[in-house]
Amino acid sequence: MLNRDTLGALIFLAFFTAYAVFAWQIPLLPFEEMDAVNSASIPKVYAALGLIFSLLALLAQAIKRQHNSGDGWPQINRRSIGQTAVLLLLMWVYTALLEPIGFLLATSAFLSAGFFILGERRWRVLLLASVPVAVVFWLIVTKLLGIYLVPGELWS
Amino acid sequence: MLDGILLGLSTALQWQNLLYVIAGCFVGTFIGMLPGLGPITAIALMIPITYSIDPSSGMILMAGVYYGAIFGGSTSSILINAPGVAGTVASSFDGYPLAKQGMAGKALAIAAWASFTGGTIGALLLMLAAPTLAKVSLSFQSADYVALMCLGLTAIAAFSNKGTFLKAMMMTVFGLTLSTVGIDPSSGTERFTFGNTDLLDGISFLLIAMSTFALAEALSNVLKPEVKQGNSEQPMQIGSIRLSKTEVKEISPTIGRSSLLGFIIGVLPGAGATIASFMAYAAERNLAPKALQEKFGKGSLRGLAAPESANNAACTGSFVPLLTLGIPGSGTTAIMLGALIAYGIQPGPMLMQDNPDVFWAVIISMYLGNIVLLILNLPLIPYLARVLIMPKAILTMMILFFSLIGVYLVSFNTFDLFMMIGFALVALVLRLLAFPMAPLLLGFILGDMIESNFRRAMMTSDGSLSIFWDKPLTLGIMLLAIVVLAMPLLSFLRLRKAAV
Repeated sequence: MLNRDTLGALIFLAFFTAYAVFAWQIPLLPFEEMDAVNSASIPKVYAALGLIFSLLALLAQAIKRQHNSGDGWPQINRRSIGQTAVLLLLMWVYTALLEPIGFLLATSAFLSAGFFILGERRWRVLLLASVPVAVVFWLIVTKLLGIYLVPGELWS
Repeated sequence: MLDGILLGLSTALQWQNLLYVIAGCFVGTFIGMLPGLGPITAIALMIPITYSIDPSSGMILMAGVYYGAIFGGSTSSILINAPGVAGTVASSFDGYPLAKQGMAGKALAIAAWASFTGGTIGALLLMLAAPTLAKVSLSFQSADYVALMCLGLTAIAAFSNKGTFLKAMMMTVFGLTLSTVGIDPSSGTERFTFGNTDLLDGISFLLIAMSTFALAEALSNVLKPEVKQGNSEQPMQIGSIRLSKTEVKEISPTIGRSSLLGFIIGVLPGAGATIASFMAYAAERNLAPKALQEKFGKGSLRGLAAPESANNAACTGSFVPLLTLGIPGSGTTAIMLGALIAYGIQPGPMLMQDNPDVFWAVIISMYLGNIVLLILNLPLIPYLARVLIMPKAILTMMILFFSLIGVYLVSFNTFDLFMMIGFALVALVLRLLAFPMAPLLLGFILGDMIESNFRRAMMTSDGSLSIFWDKPLTLGIMLLAIVVLAMPLLSFLRLRKAAV
């Protein structure tokens, strides 16, 4: 099984390879072609540096493995992974609904759903820690600071 | 300099700025106390608020948050043995044993006094060092800046945790690559936008800071819940916060020495509060008489005073390269640099001349922050400590909410939020793979500056790279960067040779 240092180096190797491919495709304007430094120069340098460091990291892992094959993966339970994944999804849904249904409704729903996902089951806490927060924050932003927040494209 | 100090005082003592520093210290302490959340997160969460106020007040607020977060980290280190930040880990070695012996109040008072003195000595040295260095750095040219930034980037990687040098370098380059997204300011060419108009302006620094620190830290706490070593369900009895004359006499020389050491280490790019606190702790243990040496790790007053004064002095020291050269030496000062640039202020040698109010207000507010921590936060610690028993669900959701809405209120663009969620996921995976986040932020923030200075340097030299070794100063800095870069590689090879 891959240890996490090797996996990290491989991920970066893939990223920097893709970055290098795109860096070499940066279109140059006619006046840039004769310049010593153009729009593509620095990205090419970064791509080369990234590739060098990720290859060095892979090499270091290969050398280390000859002496020590410690894995070092952190212990994470499935429930925590599930909670984190659902929270990420919840943030995505909140972002998608923020403008269509408005700040107040989206935020109240986001906070109470989040508390629920994280194990809070007391309905009073779910409501009291979400709706007042959304309302108070909305009042501060719109009335005190004078910043316009979309009330909801679906209703306006 | 006296004029500058008076200008800084008149700015920092305006009633609204006093309120900002007090609020900053409280909020910073509150966030810093939460295990896993440090000053970078605390400052990142403040940035959207600072956009609506003037630059001096914004920097004053952030300086207050910075010191508050460090103090908050010490509090959780002492009370529940769960350091909020790496810089306060050494404080838990003797702070927690003292708390277990029923002297939590005394330990907190020592932490507060040591931090205050460290911060004061640091602020005084900053007042002396910053203007002098700013004057010297006026003679710096673009090539010198490129060299200095290279030194800063390699140093932060070299001083990262043992065995993570290459990871830190990969993260630095990752940050640099992200800074190239958007329209190239010199030629107007689109780079890495993939036809998406939302990417034409590049990726905002606030988005990167919020997603890699605030969001990723909150999610990381859900993914890997911290094992609480103390009994945090019931707040610990704090006890008296008074120190006897003998105790004050015992810790005073330690505080003086450690503050000086901390400041010097803080000025070095990449070193910062963590290294300063560990070095001060080790130095004091070595300097202590044999009988007192044995008390280290079991509740030594010196063992607590040393890292506390050193980490605060180092925090102040880290402002020297930021304010005088415009080069941040740590993740926290990198965030502050980003905020200053967003205000349209370029830190560096000209800052003192162009925006003296900001320059001096930041220095004075650091001192005010320390006073606020001592006279307001310390007596309130028993109440502030209740944050440690607040339900995790509420804290996590508040951080997620404030991070998302903070970015939205600046850009009013939901594309930024989607991108933020994507970056948070990437940062979470990278955290699991033990990649440090601060180099990414530093690389991202310095990326634009490196590119523009590099181009200027190449234009003045007619495209010849010799500009980087023609001048002794540039050559010296470049050589130093190469040495810093080579050091971890050489030590790896030496270890390997020893293993064979």
